[in-house]
Amino acid sequence: MKRRWPLQRLKRLLIGLVVLGALGFLAVLGYAFWPTHTRAIAAPASAADAALIERGRYLALAGDCTACHTAPGGKPFAGGLALASPIGAIYSTNITPDRRTGIGGYSLDQFDRALRHGIRADGASLYPAMPFPSYARLTDEDVRALYAYFLHGVVPVAQADRSPDIPWPLSMRWPLALWRKTFAPSPDAVAFDPKRYPDERVARGAYLVQGAGHCGSCHTPRALTLQERALDESGAQYLAGNQIIDGWNAINLRGNPADGLGRWSEQDIVETLRTGRNPHAAVVGSPMADVTVHSMQHLADADLHAIAAYLKTLPPVPGAGPGFAANDATAKALQAGINDSRGAELYVDNCAGCHRTDAKGYSRVFPAIAGNPTVLAREPDSLVRLILGGSSMPATVAAPSALGMPGFGWRLGDAEVAALASYLRSQWGNQAPPVASGLVARIRAEMPGENHASEEAAHAR
Amino acid sequence: MPDDPSFTSRRRFLQWSAVAVPALAAAGAPASGQAPSADDRPTFFSASEWAFLRAAAARLIPADALGPGALEAGVPEFIDRQMATPWAEGRLWYMQGPFVPDAPPTLGWQMRLTPRDVYRLGIAAADGWTQDRHGRVFAELDPAAQDGVLQAFESGKARFEQVPAAIFFAMLLGNVREGFFSDPVHGGNRGLAGWKLIGFPGARADFMDWVERDVAYPLPPVSLSGQRG
Ligand code: HEC
Ligand code: HEC
Ligand code: HEC
Repeated sequence: MKRRWPLQRLKRLLIGLVVLGALGFLAVLGYAFWPTHTRAIAAPASAADAALIERGRYLALAGDCTACHTAPGGKPFAGGLALASPIGAIYSTNITPDRRTGIGGYSLDQFDRALRHGIRADGASLYPAMPFPSYARLTDEDVRALYAYFLHGVVPVAQADRSPDIPWPLSMRWPLALWRKTFAPSPDAVAFDPKRYPDERVARGAYLVQGAGHCGSCHTPRALTLQERALDESGAQYLAGNQIIDGWNAINLRGNPADGLGRWSEQDIVETLRTGRNPHAAVVGSPMADVTVHSMQHLADADLHAIAAYLKTLPPVPGAGPGFAANDATAKALQAGINDSRGAELYVDNCAGCHRTDAKGYSRVFPAIAGNPTVLAREPDSLVRLILGGSSMPATVAAPSALGMPGFGWRLGDAEVAALASYLRSQWGNQAPPVASGLVARIRAEMPGENHASEEAAHAR
Repeated sequence: MPDDPSFTSRRRFLQWSAVAVPALAAAGAPASGQAPSADDRPTFFSASEWAFLRAAAARLIPADALGPGALEAGVPEFIDRQMATPWAEGRLWYMQGPFVPDAPPTLGWQMRLTPRDVYRLGIAAADGWTQDRHGRVFAELDPAAQDGVLQAFESGKARFEQVPAAIFFAMLLGNVREGFFSDPVHGGNRGLAGWKLIGFPGARADFMDWVERDVAYPLPPVSLSGQRG
């Protein structure tokens, strides 16, 4: 016998569900549209004060505003840079003091609401492509300084903003308000408290890393709902890395000795931020090169040391991960002419000329591969992308040579790249899991045509 | 990103790497180390020319106890590919008069003929000459007879109408050597046979581990394409 729903009860249930659904939707809408109250901050005595403007200029460098708000070939801070998203590109906005197309008409409060709260002047929410969850940490004083700089220290440019390429209804901004209200920190709740840190220098570093530097926006893993898993050292995942940004893995910046900065000295970190290289490692890929070139290299020595000192206080991510225990067996075998795997052959034939058979490279010229966090990272994306397409060091004022590594994608097949990358991750004392050729194929497919080895060139044997 | 060319690191890198592999770029070689099999159809030479070229290459550097010869190493394929280069059309040379055949060799090429012409006319004349003397074309002779014929070309004892036999022979021998010892990306030196024979390590770019050690270099050669011998 079939059980049947009594028709009356079914009808009542359905109506009930519809009403509930509608009420729920209204509640969600209400939550989204309920205005966010923000604390207005006191205006400075004079916004055009030269010292305040100068401080704002420095903070704009530390905050790398130009990375997103200046388009390639465009005028400084006039916006228009496309930031890709899965549903369509978002464009950065004109933050020059032009009154009509820029932020010249913004009050200090409106500026603050955009910068720290993610709320536009018209009350709509900003896409979190703008890193307001990090900037939320900026002090009132620093917000005033940035405001002074952008209103009085930047040349106004008349250039209209471009609306996102996202189709309606995905382009509606109210769901962004839900995200912001649920996940973005309130500036007062995360107000920076220097007393949490052992000394003034570490506190200054923490402030720069968490706030203006927004290092976590690339280096901290994100939850499924896309918020960073931690905004400061109170979370064990803070700056734990393995986030893929434009194809490059923003590595673990915590104290892990193999895939993190555990074996880097404070001076190593300072040199990397100032020059994109240090005696044993180099910045690869565009995201961190841009951070170095537009932002970090311009900071004062004391601030770079503060950043490094703070990073050095972060304990390793707990649990077993990649390891490193220096071991000269690989170097000895290679130097005796023993190439006992395809990986070894590929390394000797393609790489050892620059990185040497001891994998220590040439200091500041060709980085070491032994014990290198870019090699040992849990997610090997950068390593694969680098072997396929190459990279060149960022050219900075203190180290202008953009030393380069050629790509090998044109002559190595997927299986060969996988064998080589796996070799790199398991020799000279490096201990990280092997790389699958499927990953190589996927990354190769994402890259422009020059990196495609023809069938014949891939001597898979 | 500010308007500074140094920030377009990716694009700049690609330009850089094009310079970093200059041997390859300069030679205009295809980016593949394609090594077609011996019976690949030639693109420049006709079937009868091809038969001559293969037979001659096999005598100039024969396979023996030391290893493969020019034929096995793909030298005819190398020469066929060279026929598609500007060199073969005489575009790398001064090709206008006066043509002074007995000028010293330091004054360069003294003929109206391009390398393509030398091969086309030379092979026809060579097979014609052989046919007259031996009743068969070159490729059908036994090796000893072939050697005799080649000696007649080399010494100039054989007389061709349009291209001096000695000049034809010199070009052929030069190209066979080049095909045997140039990088396999150009079609010859297949299996890196030529380099293995003389112990040349190829394009590995780094021998720092071996200087001042007084031991024989133990690694096999490697091609620009990455292929190992
Ligand atoms: C990682 C990229 C990124 C960085 C870094 C960044 N912004 Fe933005 N910003 C954006 C994007 C994208 C928007 C537009 C978002 C939208 O349309 O919802 C935006 C919007 C803004 C707005 C709102 C403008 C308006 O038209 O209402 C202001 C103000 C702003 N940013 C200031 C700054 C300042 C100051 C800095 C540096 C301290 C900075 N931004 C750094 C990406 C960035
Ligand atoms: C736009 C994304 C992004 C931001 C923002 C960012 N990083 Fe990075 N960072 C990366 C990527 C990607 C790498 C991997 C580069 C590599 O492996 O060489 C990286 C690597 C590094 C490295 C290791 C470099 C090396 O030679 O291996 C250090 C140190 C570092 N970042 C520090 C910082 C600090 C400090 C900040 C904040 C001031 C920061 N990063 C902000 C993306 C970012
Ligand atoms: C012509 C010299 C040269 C050759 C050959 C070369 N590299 Fe590099 N390599 C470099 C340079 C220069 C860098 C730094 C690039 C940068 O910072 O963008 C580098 C960076 C690296 C890094 C990243 C190091 C770090 O600190 O993040 C790895 C890993 C690497 N190379 C592996 C290889 C492998 C594997 C091969 C062979 C397939 C190879 N390299 C061949 C010059 C070379």
